Amino acid sequence: MGVRKKRVRTATKVVIRKVKKKPKIAKCAVCKKPLHGVPREIPSRMRKLAKTEKRPERPFGGYLCSECMRDYFRKVIA
Amino acid sequence: MIEVGRICYKVAGREAGRYCVVVKVINSNFVLVTGPKNVTGVRRRKVNIMHIEPTKHKLDIKENASDEEVAKAWQKSKLLSKLGIKVEKKTKKKQKEV
Repeated sequence: MGVRKKRVRTATKVVIRKVKKKPKIAKCAVCKKPLHGVPREIPSRMRKLAKTEKRPERPFGGYLCSECMRDYFRKVIA
Repeated sequence: MIEVGRICYKVAGREAGRYCVVVKVINSNFVLVTGPKNVTGVRRRKVNIMHIEPTKHKLDIKENASDEEVAKAWQKSKLLSKLGIKVEKKTKKKQKEV
């Protein structure tokens, strides 16, 4: 995982802090909008999260956004 | 279109993609719906009509029917196989030997 250097002013001097870069935000497979309910964590922390903390509890949760999921089911029923 | 007995299809939420039956129309926005739970997996709950899509099928049940009556109406209507609804058999939880 890449590391970004950040200049931070502490009480006495300016310090270079190393900040871990995070992966990009999850996107909907169809409309490419950012997905809600999916954390942006580095893989080692993602593994620690419970399943329900990693994606919404909906069909296609974490893969399609809610609008695209509704369109999908509306097409299926039509 | 949305009236008592109408079979609808949940489009939003955890139960999206499952069939349900309208049991009572509460007002212009809300409707009481049930699957029932052991048949289609949708529990008896109040649902916004935006989250359901009506289908052309209808069950003849009276208003505020209980879940058993709705389940019986499902069997009688033989729509279960037509709509391809798989009724999950109740799997007995293995009792832990104490």
